[in-house]
Amino acid sequence: MKDKEEVLEMEICECGEKTVAQAIEIMQNTSLPFKKAKKLVTECNKSCCRVALMKIYDMKDFGRFDYDEIAYVIEQRLERLKRLSEEA
Amino acid sequence: MYDYEWDRLKTWLDQYGAIDESITSAEQITRLDLSAKSLKDIPASIGILCNLIVLNVSNNKLSTLPDSMKELSALRNLDIRRNNFEELPEVVTSLSLRSLNASGNQLKSLCLLKNSKELRVLDFSSNAIRNLESFLPIKNELRTLNLSSNLIKDIDMFLPNLASVERLNLSNNVIVNIPHSIEHLESIEELDLSSNQIEKIDDAFFNLEVEIVDLSANNLKSLHLFSLESLEELTLDENDFEDLSIEDYFAPYLKEFSCDSCSLETFLLPPSEFLEMLCYSSNEIKAIPDEIGHYSKLTQLDIDENLIEDLPDSLANLVYLQTFYAKGNPLNEHAKKVIDVLSPNICDLNMKSGITIERAGADDLAQMAKLLSVLFAIEKDFEIDFDKQFSGIQSLYKCEGADLLVAKYENSVVGMITMQRLISSAEGDYIGQIEDLVVYEEYRKMGVGSRLLNKMRVIAQEYEYKRIQLAADIDNSNALEFYNRRGFNKTNLNLYHYTV
Repeated sequence: MKDKEEVLEMEICECGEKTVAQAIEIMQNTSLPFKKAKKLVTECNKSCCRVALMKIYDMKDFGRFDYDEIAYVIEQRLERLKRLSEEA
Repeated sequence: MYDYEWDRLKTWLDQYGAIDESITSAEQITRLDLSAKSLKDIPASIGILCNLIVLNVSNNKLSTLPDSMKELSALRNLDIRRNNFEELPEVVTSLSLRSLNASGNQLKSLCLLKNSKELRVLDFSSNAIRNLESFLPIKNELRTLNLSSNLIKDIDMFLPNLASVERLNLSNNVIVNIPHSIEHLESIEELDLSSNQIEKIDDAFFNLEVEIVDLSANNLKSLHLFSLESLEELTLDENDFEDLSIEDYFAPYLKEFSCDSCSLETFLLPPSEFLEMLCYSSNEIKAIPDEIGHYSKLTQLDIDENLIEDLPDSLANLVYLQTFYAKGNPLNEHAKKVIDVLSPNICDLNMKSGITIERAGADDLAQMAKLLSVLFAIEKDFEIDFDKQFSGIQSLYKCEGADLLVAKYENSVVGMITMQRLISSAEGDYIGQIEDLVVYEEYRKMGVGSRLLNKMRVIAQEYEYKRIQLAADIDNSNALEFYNRRGFNKTNLNLYHYTV
């Protein structure tokens, strides 16, 4: 299990090249709805990292960040991408 | 008589703090939470818990379950999510469950849940399921099925067994076609097909009585929308459409329609008179038709990042429009006048970018004291007195256990919030007392207050405060609504002052 600092350094979005820490900072500094806040992080219109970013957005609203959950969601996505590329 | 099996099981359960001292027999146990205990196996003696209804063994390292679990005839809710199961244990198929959560494992396929005629909720999300044979008995009462984040390509085979399903999540798979067998979803209300590779949708789909559909992030190039008579929300974001059209008899009760990032050049008008939210953000649209004024119930319109120069006068007729996003368009002066007349509560054109939230510094204190006057002008219990306010803020700044945040725009304080540490005898620990949350009028409706409060909540979390609390003037309806929306609960306590 990763500690908080390790999770904060994980890359959450390849398109925008953002870490979890940067995504949290951006989400905390906007009051825009999720769809628009997501674009501030990704700088694109794609939704590859949507699930993880939505977790962060909800956690920001809730007022408590669950770093284990964030790490889990990112790792799940990477695992899925690996499986898909193996299949291709 | 000495019950050896119960004694062993009780010792094991005690070890994980799963039962309290009042439990003296196996029959007393109806619920067990054994989540996140790093369990690699469960003792076979669990089978003696004949009255167990709910079992949570999520977030462990389990790859099997003991066969003795088939004796758990009362078990209705089983949570095995986030373990190491590569296949669904045979014993699960023999249980008469109401809900089963097996998400976050490594399941590759599903076997027939033969005794699951009463199953209502089933979650197999975040596994590695590729093939879906018939895993449910033909007669079943399943209401909610989550198969998101798997590797499912073909859904044709299992749809006939989903006649009672109301919520179906198939997002994040590799589905290419919506087949004719979708017609079997006779009870469907919510259908999530986002983030797949869907290219084709069979006409049978448009006869469903579904209310919410998400088809975003697929490979749809051409789509003709018709029927779907019960539809209330449709999301088509992130499809690279070459041809999107809407029939006059499409979704007469539609409330929300979103086509964000769809390469559209034309602003299509769904025929529903009940439309409340319309999103055409990030397209290549050049004009909004006059008929937009017919959507008398529209509360949110999003046209940002398009090529729109002018706005029709009819837009100003939308009296219920509260939120309007229009940034990133080459709007002319007439368009800006229309927005002025429209005067929505929230408009991204009016929002100032570059407002920062930071800890207050010594240089900010005088500005904060001045800002407090805005708050005290609203609150009848206080009188405006700059010297007292400045003195108070200075004391707070120096006080250990106090946190002061400011919102700044171009180096000026435009908003503030403070929090002081208190000890609560009720909580038996520290709590945070929030005070002085105020934002200058011209910087309101930009989310500054929310950001200040969110940041302070994170600070409270870091301090591990058990609670944060605040007082608000009963006549300040804006503030009361603001705190309600952000999860603060009104208490029964009244505040009393006594001047010493």
